[in-house]
Amino acid sequence: MKKIVLAAVAALAFSSSAFADPLKFGVAAEPYPPFTSPDASGNWVGWEVDFLGAICKQAALDCVITPTAWDGLIPALTSGQIDVIMSSMSITAERAKTIDFSDHYYNTPAMIVATKGSGLKPTPEGLAGKIIGVQVSTTHEAYAQKYFAPTAAEIKTYQTLDEQNQDLAAGRIDAGMADSIALDAFLSSDAGKACCESEGNVQDDPEILGQGVGFGLRKGDPLKDKLNAAIKAIRADGTYAAITAKYFKSDIYGSDK
Amino acid sequence: MTCPPPAQIPALELLGFGECGWGATLIWGLGNSIVIALGAYALGFAIGICGAFGKLYGGPIAKDLLGVYTTIVRAVPELVLILILFYAFTGLLNDVLLAWGYDRIQISPIITGIVVLGVVQGAYQTEVLRGGILAVPAGQIEAARAMGMPSGVVARRIILPLMTANALPGLANLWLNATKDTALLAVIGFSELTKATYQASATTKAFFVFYPAAMCLYLLISLTSTFLIGRIEKWARRGQRDVRG
Repeated sequence: MKKIVLAAVAALAFSSSAFADPLKFGVAAEPYPPFTSPDASGNWVGWEVDFLGAICKQAALDCVITPTAWDGLIPALTSGQIDVIMSSMSITAERAKTIDFSDHYYNTPAMIVATKGSGLKPTPEGLAGKIIGVQVSTTHEAYAQKYFAPTAAEIKTYQTLDEQNQDLAAGRIDAGMADSIALDAFLSSDAGKACCESEGNVQDDPEILGQGVGFGLRKGDPLKDKLNAAIKAIRADGTYAAITAKYFKSDIYGSDK
Repeated sequence: MTCPPPAQIPALELLGFGECGWGATLIWGLGNSIVIALGAYALGFAIGICGAFGKLYGGPIAKDLLGVYTTIVRAVPELVLILILFYAFTGLLNDVLLAWGYDRIQISPIITGIVVLGVVQGAYQTEVLRGGILAVPAGQIEAARAMGMPSGVVARRIILPLMTANALPGLANLWLNATKDTALLAVIGFSELTKATYQASATTKAFFVFYPAAMCLYLLISLTSTFLIGRIEKWARRGQRDVRG
């Protein structure tokens, strides 16, 4: 009897490993609305989550979302904890040294926010002597270090955009820099309306700000072609536009590169 | 699912178990924290018992190795150990597995947590238990040997019962540390109580609702633990005279 049970357990263990495990898509565990954030019941919701649903349906993939700390996403990918990064990660030359990227799936400019009536400008001269907040290990941090650091009083880094926005509202920083879409969401919230306003987009620098946001993959992963084909397909059949319309007033795909 | 904006939901409902409440998320996080703390503590206790006996009665090599283990682990912050095991160690392991033609493996955050915190607990418990053993009167052990007891029986029937009362206050401290060290796992994005609280408050912006709630949950763990430890200590000290007069 014992042997039969053992055999059954062994058969189960082997058969389950014979099926392909679902692909693990790593998102930053810190909420980043309106792209990825957990809801009250712990499910992940947002534009990127809906977008991923469409991609996986299109490419007939079995996908699960795996929350991982933002600054640990690339190590988690290279060490095999996750299979793909889907966390509004911009495609940059620096990151491409370590991981591969799919084609971009959205591309939005970077913006400066400041307290109401501050009269700041989104330029190095306009922000001279000010304290500027950015999220750590982002393209925005790299941009701020290159353009603003020489004249600004300080570049302060935050683990999450939320903390950065809180500090801006509390007056601990003079200005914050981040993705325009994510900041728009903050500016239209009650807390954002009360304190802050947009000072406009910064001058683009594709070398630092990247060529839009794409999936991050391990070097040489053949999954890349599948994901690229799926992005093209849902762009073409209108699924992409339908998902975008649910969240945004205008298209966020940007131009083809 | 249609919830009103979080700002319009009363605090109690945010903490509740309804469709728009985060109660279930917090309790789930609390459960994860407790599972990891229990697992890590049990692993640490197993390491600690072996380590303490090894340090006192082991050969010269075992003593040196254990000395290196307790020194290094107690010198490196837990946070650094967690990052090393979760990212660097699994990366290395997968490189080796791939080189040998196997598939890469994924170590779940919960296992990482138990192993890392367990290894850390093991180092501290080794020292606490070693102290407990040293406080056992040497005459008791000599008497047991004189009766012809083999060393396994001496350990089980003389040393362990006598050292328990000595080691308990230190072990109780380490247990309370273990419950709170679980919060360190938030750095690898693992949804234990601290991370769950952060996610709930960052999404709803109700920081002053969720953090006090989490504080109460941690306090609840501590109070329950203190009560249980008090009972255990009473049991371990049965038959001993209270010398405070």
